[in-house]
Order: sequence, then structure tokens, then C-alpha cells
Amino acid sequence: MKIAIIGTGYVGLVTATCLAESGNSVVGIDKDASKIALLESGKLPIYEPGLAELVERNRRDERLKFSTDLGACAGVQLIFIAVGTPESASGASDLSSIWAVVDALAAVVAPPQIVVIKSTVPVGTNRIAGERLSQRLGRPIDVASNPEFLKEGAAVDDFTKPDRVVVGVRRPEVGEVLRELYAPFLRTEHPFLVMTPESAEMTKYAANAMLAAKISFINEMANLSERLGADINDVRRGIGHDERIGFQFLFPGAGYGGSCFPKDVRALLAMGRSVDLPLRMMEAVDSVNEAQKRVLFSKIRKHYGTGLSGKTIAVWGLAFKPRTDDVREAPALMLLDALLKEGVGLRVHDPEAMGHVKAIYGDRLIYCERPYQALEGADGLAIVTEWQEFRRPDFGMMRQLLRHPVIFDGRNLYEPKTMDAAGFTYYGIGRHGR
Amino acid sequence: MQLTVVGVGYVGLVTATCFAESGNDVTCIDIDAGKIDGLRRGVLPIYEPGLEELVERNLREGRLQFTTDMGHALAQGKLVFIAVGTPQDYNGAANLNALWGVAQSIRELAGESKIVIVKSTVPVGTNRELAMRLNDGAHIQHHAVSNPEFLKEGHAIEDFMKPDRVVVGVHDAALGQVLHDLYAPFLRSDHPFLVMTPESAEMTKYVANAMLATKISFINEMANLCEAVGADIGDVRRGIGHDSRIGFQFLFPGAGYGGSCFPKDVRAMVHTAEGVGYTLRILPAVDEINENQKKVLFFKVTELLGTDLYGKTIALWGLAFKPGTDDIREAPSLILIRSLLGAGAHVRVHDPAAIPNVKAVFGDRITYCDRVYHTLQGCDALVIATEWAEFRNPDFDTMRQVLRQPFIVDGRNLYNPSEMSRLGFVYSSIGRQTVMPAAVHSQERRAA
Repeated sequence: MKIAIIGTGYVGLVTATCLAESGNSVVGIDKDASKIALLESGKLPIYEPGLAELVERNRRDERLKFSTDLGACAGVQLIFIAVGTPESASGASDLSSIWAVVDALAAVVAPPQIVVIKSTVPVGTNRIAGERLSQRLGRPIDVASNPEFLKEGAAVDDFTKPDRVVVGVRRPEVGEVLRELYAPFLRTEHPFLVMTPESAEMTKYAANAMLAAKISFINEMANLSERLGADINDVRRGIGHDERIGFQFLFPGAGYGGSCFPKDVRALLAMGRSVDLPLRMMEAVDSVNEAQKRVLFSKIRKHYGTGLSGKTIAVWGLAFKPRTDDVREAPALMLLDALLKEGVGLRVHDPEAMGHVKAIYGDRLIYCERPYQALEGADGLAIVTEWQEFRRPDFGMMRQLLRHPVIFDGRNLYEPKTMDAAGFTYYGIGRHGR
Repeated sequence: MQLTVVGVGYVGLVTATCFAESGNDVTCIDIDAGKIDGLRRGVLPIYEPGLEELVERNLREGRLQFTTDMGHALAQGKLVFIAVGTPQDYNGAANLNALWGVAQSIRELAGESKIVIVKSTVPVGTNRELAMRLNDGAHIQHHAVSNPEFLKEGHAIEDFMKPDRVVVGVHDAALGQVLHDLYAPFLRSDHPFLVMTPESAEMTKYVANAMLATKISFINEMANLCEAVGADIGDVRRGIGHDSRIGFQFLFPGAGYGGSCFPKDVRAMVHTAEGVGYTLRILPAVDEINENQKKVLFFKVTELLGTDLYGKTIALWGLAFKPGTDDIREAPSLILIRSLLGAGAHVRVHDPAAIPNVKAVFGDRITYCDRVYHTLQGCDALVIATEWAEFRNPDFDTMRQVLRQPFIVDGRNLYNPSEMSRLGFVYSSIGRQTVMPAAVHSQERRAA
């Protein structure tokens, strides 16, 4: 099929590349000329494992092209909208990019072309987009919803081997076109779910809301365990074997971040307000998470007391999760801000995200290329992201490099007993004692 | 092994019977002489599929005894399981009076050192206090062990015999080994036996129930939002469940959770947290959402019939808080019945197991029906509150004929809305759009 993807951000670029890889002829369109120039020079505006290689191969084979011109939609069968829908001041989604694209499309599309919204948008957006486009065209055009569930760091795999594909359509025929498009990725019986656009839009939010709720739930339980002298890790083992609960996504930590969970939870709250339905659970999930992002700092402040100012703290991990360079809403940023405000010197290391952090903090931090380098002369180490390379470090070397062997572990990477034996003062999340 | 089980309520009776079934000699003690008399004759104080047969067999073969004599019971072996009730106090806290009473008896009556194993659900820290109450200044020292029970009403035997996991909280690894030997017959297919501190074991029980309650309130909140914005929670459920991090289990929208565990345990945790100066946010939300959700059935009845329900007759299918049990504690059906009676409506109810318990609450203020369709006679609407299997595939033609009006409020989303529309029902469910009879539409069109 011939396909246009509008927006070459995270979702747009992965979608364009993976659809090209399955044999389609794809053009990625973005109004940002510098992004398109970068992509045409073979570079990527984002970091995602495995993506660069795929982009390169599909460009070489001419299945993947880039353009700044919406006119490139001419002659394609499907037009995907994958532009950003950031959080506005009220917490609701800012849909201005969506409406700008919809209005501009009116000049270049015509039935039987199908417009597909891939961006995460509030329930009802599809309906308005369809009405708006049809009105401008003077005749009906199909607008489908097809939310994307890819995870940063595993995006290519998630797109090519999806748990499920969800499409929201008003005519079954449109569902069939999309089924054909996704068929190469559904060969191992992954389900293709056809529903109304409203339910499809809601599905995306409900999925992220459930995951965020699990994180805030286990964090709340971790904080309570800590105060009652229980160990959340044992509790986790104790509940996870119940298959109605499971082990997944119940890791206590320093709070969730990224470009999806915080934004989508708040967008849900805004949706609830718009229909006069207070969403108690979502309010709690959001407020628990905001508090959780401050937990590491509280532990640090409590440990050093009034002597905190002038200390040097090493920070391992800045990205909101491993295998990404994304630092949006990352707990690390809140920690850096709080520690800087207290007059603490910071030596930071992250395998991918230092560029983005440098763009925010400039020379207020010391950036270390190697993890151990960050420890040199530091009074303590804070671990904020569970990158693989932090899981089995050389504790002997760490103790030598640190001026004081204190670790604030926001991801519970180590066993308290082991750390105790290795001579560290060790703080985890929801663990016994500290 | 020789075991003593204190308390023949739900957990105690299942525990005692299953341990007897695996070859142990078990003596059950309860202060309620009526219950003990009944049990000696093979009459069970609770309903649980398969339990009666097991009690009878183990009574007959002499592995299971019942007594009201604590001194006798404590002379029977080293292991003493405590499975007494820990009901909710007026302030939400767990009431531990029964537990402390047993501790006092053991202290006074036990002639040798006991391993005292708490099976009851108790707040974190109870085990530590139990050890003090048993031992402080005492001549004989006992061990206090925590061993929370995770059985589900309606599947209790299966859950006990094939547990997902067994959790024990001990300070001394040797005690863990004693319990491991006891549970070994149930752990043959590699189910994990998890040893941790008593505090973590006590916490595990609450966190497991809290997570399950959270999932229910989460999906109910999403269902209510779906209804308000025109989405369908059934499709959304399908859309999220294939994500293995989410799954399908325990994400069924409905009329709220009830029973003797979730409501009590969630509130006990909120109370425990307050006691250590920590304000929970998720769990109070879970409780509040659930309390509101229990009112949803009545609200939906008024949506279909109008707010004046005086003199109307409503049929209710399902009274137990879930299928497979006669337990009606905190059941959504009770809230609905009270609201309907308050509004002056007549109520006709049917439940395969829970009618005696409901009769004890409402007496002759409502009409009890033994047969499913008989319940519907002369009714202006049917409400379904419990998803018993027999309600899943009913004869819709009979239902439409017997009901005075073809109105259904389905609190468990048992049926397909478009199918119900085609069959001529006004059908209201949870998190989905209410449908009108397709036939009425076509008649109206013809009339126009």
C-alpha cells in the first residue's frame, strides 16, 4: 500500500519505518524542515534501539521517504496522523497540532482515501475530526482511530509483534483495509480488535491508566511497608503468584515519568471534568506519583540532615526508564532540582540521556561518561533509573571511589543484606529498616 | 501431625478439613456450642462447594474432631492454628478481641511450648504483639508464626489444596521448615512456599486484597467514564487485556465488590496507615468508588422507570456478593433492596444459595422466589446483581413474556447489548450504552 504518515516524532517515525519494512511505500511528512533534513541525512531525531538500521535500509530500498510537503499525501491510500498531543496548562490534551493537520488535509485529501488518527487523543476527537474534514470536503470521508501501544526502548519489537492491534471504525470496510495493512504483523495469532472510534480512543487511555495505577499502588504499599517494618520485595513475591495479580508492573520505585503516563492520566482527569465525573482513582494515582518523585530526595535530606549543603551526590540514571534517552517528567529531574536548590554538587551519569539533561542544566552539573567516574569523591550515590549496567556493579570499587559509602536506590536493584555486608549504608524503597 | 485449629468459621473449617484430608489429626475448637454440635453431626455452618463431603469423610475416619473444650484441644499437639474472626470495628480498624482471648487461653492452658500460627487476617505488627502476650513473664515460651490464608469463597477447597503460593512469616528458619513439612502435600506441583518476616507476611495478605479491590474500582471508574463519553467498556477491556502487563483477570466492571474481605481489609489498611502518620490516597479512592458503585443499580432503575418507584415491582436475580457462595456481607444487592423498599417498591428476589441469609435481614418485607422465572411475574424491571451461571443463558422469550415490562438492569454485563435490543428489551448495563428494543424502533417508524 501507499501510505503517508504525518509527524515524524516517536510514534510517527516508528510507524513509518515498520510499515515500510513490511513492504509498503511510505512517506513521512513533518512541517519541521530541520527534522526532515536530519532524517534525509540518515540521522534520527530520537534514540530507539534498532530503529536507525531499519530507517537506513528502507531509505536505501526507497520504500521510505521524507517530505515537508503535505502534498505528498496525493495518491496514497492511508494517511496516518501521528502528531504530538502535549498536556496543556489545564491538564487536558492540547489538540492544536491535530486540528492544524486536519484543516490542512482538507485541501489535499479526497475519498476513498482514509485518514487514521494514531496520536493519543481524548474520546470524541475522532468524531469531531471526521465531521470537520467531511464538512470542508463537502462529502463524507472515513476517519479511523488506531492507537499506538509501543513502549520506548522496545518500540520496533512492539510494532512488529504487537500484543494486539486496536482499530476504531464506523464502517467495517475501513476495518478490513487496516486489517490487511497489519496482517504481516499478526501472523502469530495476535488479535486485531475492531470497535468504535470512541472505544478505541478510550482503550489507549485505559491501558496507560491501568499501568500508572499499578505503579502508584505498589509505591503506596511500599511506603506503608517501610513504616510498618515490612519489606515490599517479600510482599511483591507474596502477591505476584496469584495469577489475578501477577508480577508485572508492580515494581516500587521513584515514580513514573515519560511522555505518556503523566500526560494521559491528567488527560483522563480532564475528560472526567468535562462530563462532571470526578475520577477519584486517577486523582490518587497522579498525586501518589508526584509525591513519589520526591521520595529519594526526602531520604537524602533525612540522611544528611543539616549537613546536606555543600555535599556532592553522584546520580546514576537520568532517563525516565532504561533504554531510552527520554527525560520528560523523569523523577531524576525533580531530584536534581531539589538537590541543586540545597546547594549540593552533582556528578551524573546516564548511558543515553546526558545530552537532553545537558540541554536543560548546562554547566550546573558534572557529566561523567563512565558510571564509576561519577562516584569519585561523592558523599553518596542516588540511583534513579534501572539501566542494566547498574545491576551488577563492582561494589568494592564503588566503596573505594565514594567518599562515604551511602546508596539511595530508587529502583531496589540490590539486596539490603548484601549491601550491609559490603559495608554500605543502603536505602531502598519500601524495604525494611530505612 | 497433630493439629489444633481454633475457630470453625470459614477459614478455620476449610483449614482443619484440608489438613485432616492430607492425613493429619485435627482438633477444632470453637466457643459456639451450636456450631460444634452441628459439625459433629456433619451439619456445616457455611456453604462451600465440596466441603461437606470432606468434613463427613474425615469425621468418619476419625481425623477430624470438634470440641468446645479449649483445655482438651490444646492437649492435642504442638501446632495451634488461630482462625478466629477479625471483624471491622466502627472506626475501620480490625477488632482483635477474639485473637487476644485465644492467646490468653493458650497462656493459661497449654502445658507445653506451642507453635501458634495466625491464619486470621490481622494488621501488621499483630504477630509481634501476640508473641509478647503469649510469652512476657510466662513460664512456658511459645512461638508466634504468621500464615495468611488466600482462599476464595466458592473455591476454597481447591485453593487450599492447590495454592498459588503458601506464605509464612517467621523469625526462625526452623519454624518455616515445620510448616513446610505440613504443607508439602499441597506443594507437589512446584507451587512456591515463601518464607519471610511475620510483618511482611501480614502485609502480603492485605496488599493482595488491596490490589484486587483496586483493579475492580479502577475498571468501574473507567466504565463510568465510558458511559459518559460514549465508549464501551467491553471493547476497552478487550483492548487493554491482551497487554500481558495488564491481563484480563479481575477487570470486570460491575455493581461493586462486597464480601467479608475486600471492604474490611481496604478500610483496615487505611486505618493502619493513619496510625503511623501516613496518608494513603489510592485505597481511600478504591473504597469511595466502590461505595458509589454499589448505588449504581438503583440509579439505573430510576433511569429506566423514573424516580417515582412507589407501587412498582422489581425482580432481583442474585443476592450473594459473588457466585458460588451464600455470603451476603456488604453485598451490593442489600443496598439496592434497601433503596427500593425506601422508595416504596415491591421486591421479588431469587438466589440459588443466599435466600436464607437475606431472609434473616429483610424477613417478610420482600418476596422470595425459588425459581428464576417465577421471580419475574408482574415485575416492571429485572435487576441482575450476581453473575450466577444460571443467569448467563436464560430463555429470553420467557423472560419477556413474564415481565410486565421488558426492562433489564444488568449489574454484571452478562448479555450482549445489540442482541438484547434485537430481542426486544430495554437493556441497561455497566459502562455501555443503554439500548432500546429494535422492534419498537421499527414500529415507531411504521407509525410515523
